[in-house]
Order: sequence, then structure tokens, then C-alpha cells
Amino acid sequence: MLRYIGRRILIAIPTLIIVSIMVFALQKLLPGDPVLTMAGEERDPQVLAYLREKYRLDDPIPVQYFAWIGSALTGNLGISLRTDIPVLELILSKLPVTIELAIMAMIVALAIGIPAGIISAVRKGTAVDYTANVIALSGLSIPNFWLGIMLIMLISVRWKLLPASGYVPPTEDLWLNIKTMLMPAFVLGTGLAASLMRHTRSAMLGVMRSDYIRTARAKGLLSRKVILKHALRNALVPIVTLSTLLFGELLAGAVLTEQIFTIPGFGKLIVDAVFNRDYAVVQGVVLCTAVGFIFMNLLADVLYVLVNPRLRHAA
Amino acid sequence: MGREAARQLAPQSNPTRETAPSAPPLLDVQGLSVRFDGAPKGVNVVDDVSFSVSKGKTLCIVGESGCGKSVTSLALMGLLPTPPARIVAGAAVFDGQDLLTLSERERSDLRGDRIAMIFQEPMTSLNPAFTIGDQIAEGIVRHRKVSKAEAMERALDMLRKVRIPAPEKRLRAYPHEMSGGMRQRVMIAMALANDPQLLIADEPTTALDVTIQAQILTLIRRLQEETGTAMILITHDLGVVAEVADEVAVMYAGRVVESGPVEAIFDDPQHPYTIGLMGSVPSLGRRQGRLATIRGTVPPAELMPKGCRFTPRCPFSDGHCANDPPPLAEIRPGHRARCWYAPLELHRGAAS
Ligand SMILES: Nc1ncnc2c1ncn2[C@@H]1O[C@H](COP(=O)(O)OP(=O)(O)OP(=O)(O)O)[C@@H](O)[C@H]1O
Ligand SMILES: [Mg+2]
Repeated sequence: MLRYIGRRILIAIPTLIIVSIMVFALQKLLPGDPVLTMAGEERDPQVLAYLREKYRLDDPIPVQYFAWIGSALTGNLGISLRTDIPVLELILSKLPVTIELAIMAMIVALAIGIPAGIISAVRKGTAVDYTANVIALSGLSIPNFWLGIMLIMLISVRWKLLPASGYVPPTEDLWLNIKTMLMPAFVLGTGLAASLMRHTRSAMLGVMRSDYIRTARAKGLLSRKVILKHALRNALVPIVTLSTLLFGELLAGAVLTEQIFTIPGFGKLIVDAVFNRDYAVVQGVVLCTAVGFIFMNLLADVLYVLVNPRLRHAA
Repeated sequence: MGREAARQLAPQSNPTRETAPSAPPLLDVQGLSVRFDGAPKGVNVVDDVSFSVSKGKTLCIVGESGCGKSVTSLALMGLLPTPPARIVAGAAVFDGQDLLTLSERERSDLRGDRIAMIFQEPMTSLNPAFTIGDQIAEGIVRHRKVSKAEAMERALDMLRKVRIPAPEKRLRAYPHEMSGGMRQRVMIAMALANDPQLLIADEPTTALDVTIQAQILTLIRRLQEETGTAMILITHDLGVVAEVADEVAVMYAGRVVESGPVEAIFDDPQHPYTIGLMGSVPSLGRRQGRLATIRGTVPPAELMPKGCRFTPRCPFSDGHCANDPPPLAEIRPGHRARCWYAPLELHRGAAS
């Protein structure tokens, strides 16, 4: 098992290198001069030259790349052009907010998607199944921002049940933290719930036809046990992998959701950085995201093996 | 004549084959009909099937691939996928209760406890995600008031009974670590764990290596004798039938065309289809008697004759056969045939 994980990590290294080059190159291809943005109205040539020198923007591109990747590896992602705060510090302060949002959204997605998928598979072809599918389809097609705005209008503005925006760290006030995160997590989670539900449904339908389900029933097991033990355990194999991979989608959704609910997270950080042409921050954020993504893929591979006894032995 | 040949290949005979007409059979199936949605109107995959099994006895069901043997046994177990399958007629009285009218809950109480089944596909019939021990034990826990540990103990006993080497180790093994033969042994252990009164074995050896087939069959026979379980054995192998059957039911295209004590079926077959089968029972040099290849094929559902379904392939058939389905009529006590002209010697002058 350890050897298997080691191998997966080795395979990830070339991917990481390619990603880092792409992050760096993309940056250089963007139109607009960051120094001009920073210097503001004045455009004093001396100031511009000083800034270019400070951020080493006049060096040849490969030199810039190796300088950047070298310091990135030591945890130095540069300094925000805009705020003068080290990028790493910025990321570390925003990341927990987004991770909290992502985890809560994932819980919402799993709590809705998996039971709904199981029920619609078991009740295939009945009204329950159709209703679940229609809801899932609307879940997939309703844009997050629209759902977010509707929820804010209803729950925050009209009923005044939950705060419409803002963020309170859980260390400060846990209850208020949960209350503020509830709506964003729901908005972000429902889209995922829909695709989880559909995947759960089809995985369950496939598994329910298998011979070992018939064997389980032949033993006289009650259908609850047949479904929740024998069928679900096997259907979970693809679902677990899928939910890990959905984290990528989750991150993309988080960017938008954080904008709607003005949550100072990772998504907001990257949007602001892009608008401000804050190169170092954009690079750092994208690099972190890519690493996180590769890590989630790695986790998906490992989980897939863990939940699958056949592979567990082979690995 | 077939019987003699079969006997030579299968010298082990069943000395006690007295028929006890007084005691009611353990399972009495009458007029069982199963329809699949989408099949042509009036053509049932299993049609008007009747047979019975007495306590501790063995009924063999034989018939070509696709004639409805598995569907019949799954119908009795209540394991048919509904839809598309529907039981449209019949009764199956097991120990005084009609299996077909029981509620799903009552049926699941019987399943795996008093009626158990072994399937045709040992490679896929065990759940890949759980250990062998867990899968045997859960069936015991379901029907007996025992702790999980006691059930595991019993599972271990069963693995010993089915002669699985290193049973303690196997208890913790996953299905993919075992061969087909070993998996079928596990299925047998699972089926017999609660001492069922009736075991339905649906071609338990067909999917296995020829060398393993005999071992598995001997094992089933030995355990059956030890426990006094009645058995419905579905098989293609007439040598096996000759060896283990007390009663035989021959199926053709979803119907029982002939049934009776094994001697009667082998020595004095009455239905032209059975006669055709017997024509090819183990000849010298052939280890196993596969079903004969009778001229022609089973007609597809939409071309199924209204009357006797064997009509297109039958050398004796006429218009009467094609239009009116013959009843499964008793020719001699206990011996039934579904043919207008049975006994053939009487009606047609020549046979076999
Ligand atoms: N789920 C299903 N839907 C439609 N038709 C089915 C289904 N299952 C079985 N059948 C049909 O029912 C008929 C009987 O099938 P069954 O499996 O009982 O045959 P069998 O006698 O067990 O054959 P074999 O010896 O190959 O196991 C076949 O013609 C098959 O096409
Ligand atoms: Mg079959």
C-alpha cells in the first residue's frame, strides 16, 4: 500500500512541473503591465525602473521562472504587489475560510445526494424517482448566483433568519460562524448534490442487478440490509472517487459563492488579484490550487484502492 | 436402455426409493406460470409447470438451455426481478403455505432458513466487498438467535463441512482470493448453514472445471444425506440425474413435458422429447451425458405454437398437437407426460 502511494506521488511530480510552467507562462502572456498598475497616475520613470528592479521583471523569462519556482519551493511565493503582504501569508489566512466552506458544502452534497440517489434507484420508475430526478436536474441547471441571491432575498432580507454576508472565524464565535456559512454552503453544495445523486443512482442501479445481491436476498436478508450493506458498499467505490474529484468543481464554485456572500476566502483573493493584476498573488493562488487538485486526485486513487478489497491486496 | 448405460457410468445407486404416496410432499408446485413484460401475448416463459418434492428426496429438473429452469427456481424463491417477470398463475405449497401468496416479509423469513438456493454462477454470486465469514455468518444471524461470534463459529463449522482447506484462514478471505470451485463450496456452506428443509441447486457445477464438477456434486450429495434435506437439482447431465434423482421433471420451452420416478423416465420415457434425450445418454467413451441434440431448434416466442410447444420438432405431431396444448396427464401412477399420444406404443405403434 505504501509503495503504491509512493508510486502515485512520483507520477504526480512531472504533472506538478508542467503545471508550474503553465502558471508562470500564463502570467507572462497576460496583457497589461503590472508596474504601470502599481505606480498609479504618476508614471515616474524612476519609480517604474525601481519597481521593475525590485520584482526582477527585466530578467530573461527562464531566469524569472527558476527564481520563482526556487523560492516557491522554500515557501516563498513572493510579495503581493498591491498590499505588500507575503503571498504565502495571504493564502494561509484565506485558505481556512474556503476549506471550511468546501467541507460544509461537501457535507451538504453528500447528505442530500447519496440518500436521494439510493432512494431513486430503489424506487426506480416511480413518482419518487421522477421527482428526485427533476429536482436534481433543476439543481444542476440553476446557477449558483441566482440561487444565492434568491436565498439572500428570502432568508436574510425577508425573514431575517441568517446573515446575508460576511465572515466570522469559528474561533471567535462558532455559532455565528456556522450561521453565516450555512447559506453559502447550501448554495455551493446543492449543485454537487445533484451530480452526486445521479451518480449514486446509476451506481446503485448497476450494483442491484448483480448476482451477489440476489445471493444476499436468497439468505433472507431484509431489503434494508441488502441495499444499505451489500449494494451501497459496492456502489460507494465509484462514488468516493467521484466526490474527491468534485472538490475541484467545489473550488471553482467557491470563487463565485464567495463573491455573492462576500466571504473573504480563497475565491475572493484570486478574483481581487486578477482585477488588480497582482501577479505574485495570482501565481501563488493558482499554484496552490493546482497542487491541491493533484493532491485530491492522489487521494481519489488511494481511496479507490482502500474501498476495493480486490485492489487492496494487489496494491 | 439409456438407464442401463447411465447406471454403468454411475454405479452408486439409491437403494431406498420407496414411494410414500400417503405423506404430503414438502413442496407441491401446481400450474406455475411466469411471464416477462414485453413477451408476445399468451407466451409465458414458464407455463403451467407442476411438480412436487418429498421430504429428503431429490427432484432433478432437466431441459435445454433457456427452457426456464432458472426462472422456475427463482420464482419459487421469490427472487425474480419484478418487473419484468410476473408470476401470472399457479401455487407452490411448501409445508402447508403457498409460497407465491406470502408477503415479501414472510417469504424472506423462509429464504435462507427453510429453503435455500445455490446458483449457477459461483464467480459472481459472492459479494466482493465482504469476507467469506461475514457473508456466511450474516445469514445465520438473520434466522437464528445467536451472537455474531457464535455465528462465526458456525460459519467455520460449515467451511469445515464443505471441506475447504485452512478454514480459519478462509473465514477472513475475500471472494476474489478463491477459485470458482472454492466459491461454490462457500455458497453451499452458506445455503446449508441453517439446515434448510429444501435446497434448490441450479446447475451448481456447470460453470466449474470438469475435474471439480464431480467433487462438488459428491459434496452436495453427502451433505444432503447427512442432513436429510430435500433437493431440487437442476442439471444438464443425464448421468447425474441417473445417479442422484428420485424423481425427474423434464422441461421443454417453459413446460414440464414429462415427470415421474427416475426409473420410469429412464426405462420407459413417454414424451417424444424425453425419448430423444434418452437416445443420447452416455454412450461408451463419453464421460458425461449432455443433452441430446434433437433435430431443429426451440421456436422463438413469437412463433411458439398454440398447442404442444414441441410440435415443430416432433416426428409424431399433427394438427391436433399444433392447436391444442396437451395436459400433463398421468399415464401410470406417478408418471406423467404432456403428449396427446402418450403412451406412444399404444397410439403410434412404434417408439424409442
Ligand atoms: N430478465 C429477463 N428478461 C427477459 N427474459 C428473460 C429474463 N430472464 C430470463 N429470460 C428468458 O427466460 C427463458 C428461460 O431462462 P432460464 O434462465 O430460466 O433458462 P434455463 O433453463 O435456466 O437455462 P440455462 O440452462 O442456460 O441456465 C430464456 O428464454 C430467457 O431468455
Ligand atoms: Mg439457468
